[in-house]
Amino acid sequence: MKFIALYKIPITYLLLYAVLILASGVWLFLLSQGLDSAQSLNHTLKDIIHTPEAKSVRGLIEVATPHLFAMGMLIFVAAHFMLFSTRVSKKMTAVVSLIVFGLALLDIFSYFAISFGWVVSGWLKLFALFAFVSSFVVLLALLAFSL
Amino acid sequence: MAAVVFFILLYLGLDIALHAYVIGTDVHSVALTLFGDAENFVEPMLLDTLLLQVHSDLFMSLFSLLILTSISIRLHGSRRIMRWAVHFVFVLGMLSAVTLLSAYFVGAWLIPVWIATFVTWHVLGFVLGGSVLKTLLFS
Repeated sequence: MKFIALYKIPITYLLLYAVLILASGVWLFLLSQGLDSAQSLNHTLKDIIHTPEAKSVRGLIEVATPHLFAMGMLIFVAAHFMLFSTRVSKKMTAVVSLIVFGLALLDIFSYFAISFGWVVSGWLKLFALFAFVSSFVVLLALLAFSL
Repeated sequence: MAAVVFFILLYLGLDIALHAYVIGTDVHSVALTLFGDAENFVEPMLLDTLLLQVHSDLFMSLFSLLILTSISIRLHGSRRIMRWAVHFVFVLGMLSAVTLLSAYFVGAWLIPVWIATFVTWHVLGFVLGGSVLKTLLFS
């Protein structure tokens, strides 16, 4: 492939944009749980665990639908760039991206379990969010390493 | 390839129109949207509404620029200016989203910076897309 050095520029910016998208997404979620109303982060996290905000099915679908497309695309694009690398094995890429895809699904659908009353506490959503963000950061770190 | 670039050019045009409707077209109207006007009972924009806009702007600009710059590199990668054009358009796209959000917290003086970065990355996107279309259709 010609101009490989030039193709590294958009991939580098993908990493920066992805971090900003992740950060703004987590911030949006925390705002929806009451972070805005003069609450500390710690207090908001406790509130999510003990009394997560009630959400309608319509509201959940409105959030889940664009995220299914957007998160799937972002993970796919980030992971497929790693396939061109010689530093990260294809098996490693496959395993990490499958884990990130799985955790993204858990993150998107975990609030349904809270809204339908299958779990009372919001720990599941917090765990899913933390696990997805952590795994996606690992994927981005591997992509940065593979550049 | 020409069709997807054509779609991205349409997207860039409509994105400017969308932001003109949602955020504003000049410093005064953007300030009115972000901070409201107590004397005229205009409510300021909610933080979560603005953050949602910035969140989706980042995603859309990332993907439109990834496609546009990848095709541009493939067709015009030998040109020295291409490296700087790619850096410039990505940095401006990112700055545009960050300055809009920062203006909400820092103050109205950042609004002209947002307008300048927003317009510049869109214009640069048009230039990149236009040069790709020119090569694909007329060379």
